[in-house]
Amino acid sequence: MKARETQAPAPLSFEAQILALLPQLRRYSRSLTRSDVEGEDLLQDCVEKALVSRSQWRGANFKSWAYRIMTNLHLNARRSVARRPSVGIEEAENVAMSAVSDDPLEKSRLVKALETLPKEARAVLMLVVVEGHSYQEVADMLDVPIGTVMSRLSRARQALREKMREENVIPMRRPR
Amino acid sequence: MTEARSISEADLHAYADGFLNDADRARVERFLAENPDAAELVADWQAQNDELRSAFAGYEQSKPTDIQLISGAHQRPAARQPRRAALAAAAVVIFALGAIGGHYGPLLFKRPDIQLAYTEILPREARNAFLVYASEVRHPVEVFANEEAHLATWLGKRLSIANLKVPNLQTMGFKLVGGRLLPVAGKPGAMFMYEDQAGQRVTVMVGRNKENRTTSFRFASASNVETFYWIDGELGYAVTGEISRDLLQKIAEECYRQFPS
Repeated sequence: MKARETQAPAPLSFEAQILALLPQLRRYSRSLTRSDVEGEDLLQDCVEKALVSRSQWRGANFKSWAYRIMTNLHLNARRSVARRPSVGIEEAENVAMSAVSDDPLEKSRLVKALETLPKEARAVLMLVVVEGHSYQEVADMLDVPIGTVMSRLSRARQALREKMREENVIPMRRPR
Repeated sequence: MTEARSISEADLHAYADGFLNDADRARVERFLAENPDAAELVADWQAQNDELRSAFAGYEQSKPTDIQLISGAHQRPAARQPRRAALAAAAVVIFALGAIGGHYGPLLFKRPDIQLAYTEILPREARNAFLVYASEVRHPVEVFANEEAHLATWLGKRLSIANLKVPNLQTMGFKLVGGRLLPVAGKPGAMFMYEDQAGQRVTVMVGRNKENRTTSFRFASASNVETFYWIDGELGYAVTGEISRDLLQKIAEECYRQFPS
């Protein structure tokens, strides 16, 4: 009972902090990518990078630091050769999809429409909407002015609306 | 205009994302109350937000292999087990939200002054008219079908359509209930109502706008109410009902065939 005053928890180890953050990072990585496989790959890359760069972490705001690593990895990945030897990302679009998909995300037209967004705009949208970061936090994370964050967010939302609308079009037929 | 500070687009985003303090939130809400177009836009963004959040929520979870990930002991490709329960749950939510999610038109403003295109107003007003009038038991229309000729002349005159013909949907099993005059995007418009044997109703709305440009069929749906709409010359048409999209499309095509081109 005398330990009442020792409230401050011992600081988590570096690894423990990553571990604690993994579920959120997993969600974020999936929201940036096209499939579960790509999402897990990005997550693994991010963890590896974080472990290698641990000396660069200044001891403040671990979460932002980790999100920044993942975002940069994703934005900088220039169509790097897909790790899956079977099908490259470019070809993947042309692979026939089975009629019944297990992936619930494929059922969401909105999620499909995400594929049409520029990577930067999608990342901002996800950081704000799904991950709940403030505009300023996102600006700091991406190292861009807040105005850029706002314009990317606006562009993403506009593009999604337009895309959803396009898909609602059926060619006219005037039977005579 | 009367507000001390004007509302910027950034304010609207911050409102949709829940980042405003009480005072600013109230300020935006007053603005939205007076600007239905902006209110619709913001509601649309919020619907997008909800759908995106629930789409990815199921991924926020630990995996047994996470420890290996941290210790660097994992091998690629790591074992991946589908999380069926979580995914199935997410699927239900996504499915439900999918029906509601962004089906309104494009964002037309670059700056805060918001103007919706006719193609955005038309389905919304058609849907509202359907919701208001189709549920009316005794007074769904102003002029009933027994005065069809008068109905056609009267509404044709208000819409400046020579020889307006009220579409005949008998072959689809729907007979005319009647019609009424109503505003469509602030101008006189016409609404015709039909009913099948089961009492299921559909409405056909016609409005005129000088700036209209001909479009293909488009559809919008929300809470089981489907609308097919299109623009032909200056006239905009919308067919609305709480029936299957297939049937509604057939009705829309029949109307398109019968209306003068």
